[in-house]
Amino acid sequence: MTDKRPAVYIEGIAVDIGWADATRSLTEMIFSTTRRAIDEGKKSLDTIDSVVLAAHDMVDGRSLSSMVTGPAAGSYLRDETRYSDDGAAAFAAAVTRIEAKESTRSIVAAWGRASEHDVEAVARATFDPFFASPFGIDELQVAAMRAQAWMRMGGDVAARAEAGQRRIAAARANPRALKVGGRHPVASYPLNEADMPRWADIAVSLTISAEPSAVRVAGIGQSSEPYWIGDRKLGRLAGLEQAAQRALSEAGFGPEQLDVVEIDGLTLFDEAIGMEAVGIAQRGGGMRSMATDPRSNPSGGAAAGYCAPAMGLARIVEAVMQLQGQAGTIQVPRARRALATGSCVVAAQTHTAIVLEAT
Amino acid sequence: MSQVAIVGVGQTPYRRSHPEKSSRELIWWAAKEALNDAGLGIDAIDVIIAGVAPDALAGEVSVERSGMMGIGKPFIRVNTGGVTGSSAVFAGASYIKAGRAKAVLVFALERMGQASSSQQVFNTIFDPVYEKDFPLTTITMAALRASMLMRLYGYAPRHWAEIAARNAQAARKNPLAHLHNDITPEDVLKSPLLAWPIHRYEACPMSEGACALVLVDKSLVGNRKPAWIQGAASTSDSYAMGDRIRRKGATLVDLLSLSMSAKRAYAEAGVTKPVKEIRVAELYSAFSSAEAMAYPALGFCESADGPRFVEAQATDKSLPVFNPSGGPQGANPVSATAMVRIAEAALQVRQMAGARQVDGVERAVATGQGGATQFSTVCVVGNKPNT
Amino acid sequence: MSDVELVSIPGLWAFNYNYFAGANASRFFNELKVNRRIMGTRCPSCERVLVPARGFCDACMEYTTDWKAVGPEGTLETFTIVATQFPGLPKPPLVMAYVTLDGADTALINLVYGMDLSDIDAAAQKLNKLPRVTTRFVDDPKGRITDFSFQLL
Repeated sequence: MTDKRPAVYIEGIAVDIGWADATRSLTEMIFSTTRRAIDEGKKSLDTIDSVVLAAHDMVDGRSLSSMVTGPAAGSYLRDETRYSDDGAAAFAAAVTRIEAKESTRSIVAAWGRASEHDVEAVARATFDPFFASPFGIDELQVAAMRAQAWMRMGGDVAARAEAGQRRIAAARANPRALKVGGRHPVASYPLNEADMPRWADIAVSLTISAEPSAVRVAGIGQSSEPYWIGDRKLGRLAGLEQAAQRALSEAGFGPEQLDVVEIDGLTLFDEAIGMEAVGIAQRGGGMRSMATDPRSNPSGGAAAGYCAPAMGLARIVEAVMQLQGQAGTIQVPRARRALATGSCVVAAQTHTAIVLEAT
Repeated sequence: MSQVAIVGVGQTPYRRSHPEKSSRELIWWAAKEALNDAGLGIDAIDVIIAGVAPDALAGEVSVERSGMMGIGKPFIRVNTGGVTGSSAVFAGASYIKAGRAKAVLVFALERMGQASSSQQVFNTIFDPVYEKDFPLTTITMAALRASMLMRLYGYAPRHWAEIAARNAQAARKNPLAHLHNDITPEDVLKSPLLAWPIHRYEACPMSEGACALVLVDKSLVGNRKPAWIQGAASTSDSYAMGDRIRRKGATLVDLLSLSMSAKRAYAEAGVTKPVKEIRVAELYSAFSSAEAMAYPALGFCESADGPRFVEAQATDKSLPVFNPSGGPQGANPVSATAMVRIAEAALQVRQMAGARQVDGVERAVATGQGGATQFSTVCVVGNKPNT
Repeated sequence: MSDVELVSIPGLWAFNYNYFAGANASRFFNELKVNRRIMGTRCPSCERVLVPARGFCDACMEYTTDWKAVGPEGTLETFTIVATQFPGLPKPPLVMAYVTLDGADTALINLVYGMDLSDIDAAAQKLNKLPRVTTRFVDDPKGRITDFSFQLL
């Protein structure tokens, strides 16, 4: 019997970014995306034996929301696990099941409808009730403080306006981005509206198995930072640095070999700092990278539509489309290697990095 | 392929509330105990899997993050309702079997001591579009099943009362249990009716606390006392209970998801005659009547023989021992309960269960239930690895 | 540390949501309000008629096709007698039950009237025999699941 860990491949993918579509319930959105991913994968539903989900009760608006959402994502009489964590972390967990030979083919799905819940209220409730909540702090305000720390530590902010424009242009050009509606949250100093994410309704699904197909999972890395914001060095994302190093080390190459990097960052500054963290920009050079490097978030990142906890999986799907040559108007030519990341609460405390390779 | 063993168990006492502990302190308490039991420091841990079920019970969103331990470890939270505790264990085992970790710390925290009313929260698990206007709660949901069991298989109220009294008496030997009630079946039948046919003493308490386990790859077992995970399986059913009432071959009370999980876990563990090969069964039955659905699903008896199986438990010493810990009627820290079942099964196998130790346990089974018996997990642990 | 007064802070967990029922559920509710009838949808694969009407069959992972009216009569499958007060509902005791309406393959939850509840155990005996029920609409339906209830025949 071979003990070698099987390689895992991504088969069908589907993403749906919209806003306040009253013709569809949440479960109907999840079902249609999952059905499309299964169809794209061209394998029978009968061959699927596992469903791994990323979703949060507070986002879905009900406790144990996976009771209704799970079946919409194919969980009926299957082994299904729902992580209340970022989609890329759920993806990593799903990959371990194939590697452990517990599953032969799995659905991975993540979603969030910003039009159905009060995003800022839920974010505020994520903070410590004794030491932080009394100040009404939320993740966007931590992002603002992170931006400030990065600038104070010498971050090159000169390219900020250009980076913001490139991001918006990329989102406009991205066929999958939010076209109509959405909402920009209020910015706190030093952030401005151009740095903000665009809240959207997002559903993402894909299928994976050990059967060879066009895109292979080349490396996985995960890491975490201290819970207390005050314990972290805010001007960098140390947890993401470590996650990316682990993933690239497993893949067997360095960041300079990446053709596409899709970073999950709540604001433009998070995306810029993320570029430094994964090593395609020097420390302090992330904003310039966001302005001029074609590898940096060609999808438009958070400007294309944002809703936690779907984003790591949305970044993975964008990276896969690039590697398949299916990205459309925003295609990076000859993309063979990509890195996609996902970060999660509280305020980018945990990180997952996934390295993908075209076969 | 790697084999996985439980070498550390940590549990806080389960109580209505722990006002002297913050949420992170409850997590660390259980985690530290599990690490000490395993003889490992946090640095030896490769991955941490956290289990916390509905955030509304704690009133804190993503409370598990506050319990971050060690530096720079992969950390991910699972929320599968009542099976959360077992999902966390299975997820940790996957990392080891995939060769991505040698040692994993899993923990589950229940903080419902901070909630004023759990039933208000539990009503929100039902469909806001079709069901929120009805008093669908975990209690009435269990009652709907209990009525059906009585109609189909001839159970009577005294069967539910006997199971509840048995669990209560067992809990008296478990210092960690929340309730230590010296009650008889008659006391149970005299307790207030919650929703026909369920009486108060057949239900579970609102408990909070934390549970943690250290899982290791075979290569790290060394001189440690292992409880080997011989079989593990999880199955999800459809949401709507109404969809399962007339389903051919598997109605609402046939617990299809549990029997499917049992079949897979038993096959992995090499169990062919469960009633003979399983010495202890720790069942996640939040209501005593719910145990009746577990017996046939786990292969212990036929559905129609259920009432006689309950009656035989008092006298037939060859049957498995059910819930020596007292089970969920003794303590139900919802996010953790399914992990507690596995922890208790592991303690039994490792001969570390103190006053509640059952003799000669080579193999034990632990179950998890989530949603309206929508999610079911089965974990078989034993004193030997699979060959 | 035993002299330190333990701090606990009160909190209110109140979040606003706006749930989209979707076109399918909306049509189901509209049929209640306008036509006083209960609709199901059929799965083209397993051919079950699913009630309440829904956009897809989760067992088969297929979109549903035809819409079909079910009932008005049906069979009470299982029940409980609720003993505690619930916001917006009449005082207990109340019968809550799953009913499979004629023509449907799945059961629907609602309240059931018409049983004498002065002796709970006696009522339970009768209810546990799969009694037949019919659907009764309120005078002024609003397009919500509470527009109807069941009445024992």
